[in-house]
Amino acid sequence: MIGGLFIYNHKGEVLISRVYRDDIGRNAVDAFRVNVIHARQQVRSPVTNIARTSFFHVKRSNIWLAAVTKQNVNAAMVFEFLYKMCDVMTAYFGKISEENIKNNFVLIYELLDEILDFGYPQNSETGALKTFITQQGIKSQTKEEQSQITSQVTGQIGWRREGIKYRRNELFLDVLESVNLLMSPQGQVLSAHVSGRVVMKSYLSGMPECKFGMNDKIVIEKQGKGTADETGKSGKQSIAIDDCTFHQCVRLSKFDSERSISFIPPDGEFELMRYRTTKDIILPFRVIPLVREVGRTKLEVKVVIKSNFKPSLLAQKIEVRQNPMWFCALE
Amino acid sequence: MPYWGADDAVAELRRALSNRHAQADRLRYRNVLLRVIRRMTQGVDVSGVFMEMVKASATGDIVQKKLVYLYMCTYASRQPDLALLAINTLCKDCSDPNPMVRGLALRSMCSLRMPGIQEYIQQPVLNGLRDKASYVRRVAVLGCAKMQKLQGDTEVDGVLVNELYSLLRDQDPIVVVNCLRALEEILRREGGVVINKPIAHHLLKRMSDLDQWGQSEVLAFLLRYKPRSEEELFNILSLLDGSLKSSSPSVVMAATKLFLVLAKDFPQVQTDVLVRVKGPLLAACTSESRELCFAALCHVRQILGSLPGHFSSHYKKFFCSYSEPHYIKCQKMEVLCELVNDENVQQVLEELKSYCTDVSAELAQGAIFAIGSIARTYTEQCVGILTALLGLKQEHITSAVVQAFRDLVWLCPQCTEAVCQALPSCEEAMQDSEGKQALIWLLGVHGERVPNAPYVLEDFVEHVRSETFPAVKMELLTALVRLFMFRPAECQDILGRLLYYCIEEETDMVVRDRGLFYYRLLQAGVEEAKRVLCSPKSDPSLGLLEDQAEQPVNKWASEFNTLVPVYGKACWAVVTANWAMEPRCGGFPCAAPMTAGTESLISEGNKEVLQVHSNSAGLTLIPKAHLTAEQFEKTWLSLDMNYQQALPWHGAAHPDTIQTALQVVHIQTIAMSKAGAQPWKAYLSAQDESGCLFLTELLLETENSEMQVSVKQSEERTEALQHFISVLRTVMGTVLGLKS
Repeated sequence: MIGGLFIYNHKGEVLISRVYRDDIGRNAVDAFRVNVIHARQQVRSPVTNIARTSFFHVKRSNIWLAAVTKQNVNAAMVFEFLYKMCDVMTAYFGKISEENIKNNFVLIYELLDEILDFGYPQNSETGALKTFITQQGIKSQTKEEQSQITSQVTGQIGWRREGIKYRRNELFLDVLESVNLLMSPQGQVLSAHVSGRVVMKSYLSGMPECKFGMNDKIVIEKQGKGTADETGKSGKQSIAIDDCTFHQCVRLSKFDSERSISFIPPDGEFELMRYRTTKDIILPFRVIPLVREVGRTKLEVKVVIKSNFKPSLLAQKIEVRQNPMWFCALE
Repeated sequence: MPYWGADDAVAELRRALSNRHAQADRLRYRNVLLRVIRRMTQGVDVSGVFMEMVKASATGDIVQKKLVYLYMCTYASRQPDLALLAINTLCKDCSDPNPMVRGLALRSMCSLRMPGIQEYIQQPVLNGLRDKASYVRRVAVLGCAKMQKLQGDTEVDGVLVNELYSLLRDQDPIVVVNCLRALEEILRREGGVVINKPIAHHLLKRMSDLDQWGQSEVLAFLLRYKPRSEEELFNILSLLDGSLKSSSPSVVMAATKLFLVLAKDFPQVQTDVLVRVKGPLLAACTSESRELCFAALCHVRQILGSLPGHFSSHYKKFFCSYSEPHYIKCQKMEVLCELVNDENVQQVLEELKSYCTDVSAELAQGAIFAIGSIARTYTEQCVGILTALLGLKQEHITSAVVQAFRDLVWLCPQCTEAVCQALPSCEEAMQDSEGKQALIWLLGVHGERVPNAPYVLEDFVEHVRSETFPAVKMELLTALVRLFMFRPAECQDILGRLLYYCIEEETDMVVRDRGLFYYRLLQAGVEEAKRVLCSPKSDPSLGLLEDQAEQPVNKWASEFNTLVPVYGKACWAVVTANWAMEPRCGGFPCAAPMTAGTESLISEGNKEVLQVHSNSAGLTLIPKAHLTAEQFEKTWLSLDMNYQQALPWHGAAHPDTIQTALQVVHIQTIAMSKAGAQPWKAYLSAQDESGCLFLTELLLETENSEMQVSVKQSEERTEALQHFISVLRTVMGTVLGLKS
């Protein structure tokens, strides 16, 4: 469980401090500032132990979020919680920045009050939270809204409330893929994988039953079982997905038996699916760096980028960044 | 935090709060409240306006209420009298038609943390448990835990506990999880919430309704349940299969732990599970969320300890990329060291080699040490790489390489020749204490094979006056005296100068004493000195202690998914050992300006955590207890003798047998005489789950044919002591039985 949650700016000033349990004192706030934020060297570990108190910290742009506990908790859960907290805040007021946090001071305290109780994570679904924490919190609730909250909270489906109505039913689907590539200085690909997310924005009325299908080319590997023969059979065209995970709303039993993804979506934006592929990755670009030492004080760097797309496809917003730091290498 | 002008600020706020006009204008009033909370966040003591804040609580505006309640929860313990005034409003809110208001009031009331509040909150909490809105029930359930915490030592209310157990069947998933949490805290003394068969199966059924936090906590609670039959066990495992595929890494980890613990008698199942979580773990290790990636890497290392080949084919996943933070790079290097095998060693070394010239000196040194540790198995290749690095003549690199050599020579004597050839000319690029010490040690021990060893040491002696580290001077003394034994002609003059300096000019007492010691030793004659200094070389087989054989999975299964793999076993042992041993000592890395007395470093809560799983009837010694010789000595001297007895014994003692036998029952050997020593002695330590330490001395004088056993205990607990003694007697009896 989490004993307290603090948010600092880059100078170490406390923007938000919420203590949930007695064993975390005010001095914990200062201890973190002195030992981590003001420490000279770079961060040693995202879990820092100061006087038997564990600080789990995450940095978002210039903002530090720290969850504090004295218990032997599991690290993955605390970090996931912090990420969730960031997501919730982003959903409410956009980018996490010092200004935004200062402006939404009350809201954050309200959120912290709801998401954690006595240090235990409670309801953290943005959709559900938005029904009772509104940005213009002054408005008092009508009878109808009150009953809505009650039903939402008692409903069988935690991620969707009943009685949602839209004049126009819309559904948006984005597939976001990022290629993660590690290349040796000689230009040899050491490892590459694609991690993709299917993000959905749903504005549908009632309790809609949705189905999401993929074409036959995609082979989803049954976890824990050999894939070599499976991919071999379906020929070269197939795309093997290494592992995929779904949002809570997807019925996994149906997926296992029929390979169909059926679900009742939450209202608003959510991540339906996450997957990873490692085999036969065609890189979108090829980067060929050439570094030549011209003299003792001069280096010539030539970077060639070639795209592997068909000429008919246009890419937008391409950014090439290079870090001059590595020139102070040895010799 | 002392804050300049805090009094003025409080006075100003009080004025603003009691301003009639401000009170009339709701927005303006709320702004003032905001300023109060902001000050509170900054650490200013604004408890002075408590009275005004109580007045502000009587409002219909929920947001304003929330602000005021937040304020009250912070300061109620300082102003208990005034806080009582607020109770009235809170009680009224508890019966508000709006469930939000009811929940809020109940939550705040339970968090007031002041003495005497129990009598006011008991009734509202009980009502809350039966509220028709699940939002209120969630709050009320945790309220029970808060109430128990406030009451402290008083007895557990049986009715309340039963009510909570029945609420485990509530239709709201969060209420169910909260019930488990609350019961766990309330019943802490009795060992936490009891998970019997119906509850376990009920929880399994509800699993899919829970959110990720609930799932990972319920999985942790299910660890308590021991399935009756093999069939049931596999039933449970197949029900939980889905959790291993969850999109949340924490649920996957929790499920893995549960699988590993439940299947502790089926190694095959354990291996299968670890194979299945390989994918999710690798995904977490390469994810963009750095911190999660760090946690996953720590667990990968844990798994590698038991299954060294587990991730070998995925070694490329653990290559560092340029932009990763330092802590991930370090973890990845450690992982690379552990998964190296015949197939990938070439590529891994190639990769590590490229880190050795990293801009960050620390990372470069880390990479060199990593190569050094791989060198224990692939000596030749690694020594080649390390020797080549010396050619760069970079201070930090040379220093790290020499240190790696020092450790390597000790463990793999076969590479001594190669190292000795690489050593000359290292001394030029050496500035730090650690590197110098390593170099001097190598020259002292293997100086007879390095042609210019005396001259390098002479160089150090020349500059000994400007040397800042006493440790280097000590090392220099030892090395030179040793080398003198082998190459007297070249060393005599230098040694004379060094001894003169140490005895006459040195201000550091320790160095001076060491100098005097060697001087007197040499006075006793060369033969005598040789006997002391050139005692038989340490046994290379000791190296096995260093890289232990593969641990069985069961050894760490219970620590999986806790902070132990994250901090590292040794570090965690220090944290917990200090918890138990020196409750009020601030020795552990705590540079924080903790104001003394404001917070005792060990709270009751922590002690209780340690006791949660304690077996009340018998005694369980924990395997992870680790005590250094210094800690042992200190504790031994500070305690009184609790128990002394002579056990029958015949013949000499066999240290190895005894040590192994003690290890089995988790008694750690701190020090032990060699076989056949007279009198033979051994010092042992053990720790039980409540943190109580048992320190033992064994003394064997052969003529008496008796083993004298003396036990000291860090806490007076006779029952535990009796158990410990009986364990010890059984072990000794067994050892004796083996011998005869």
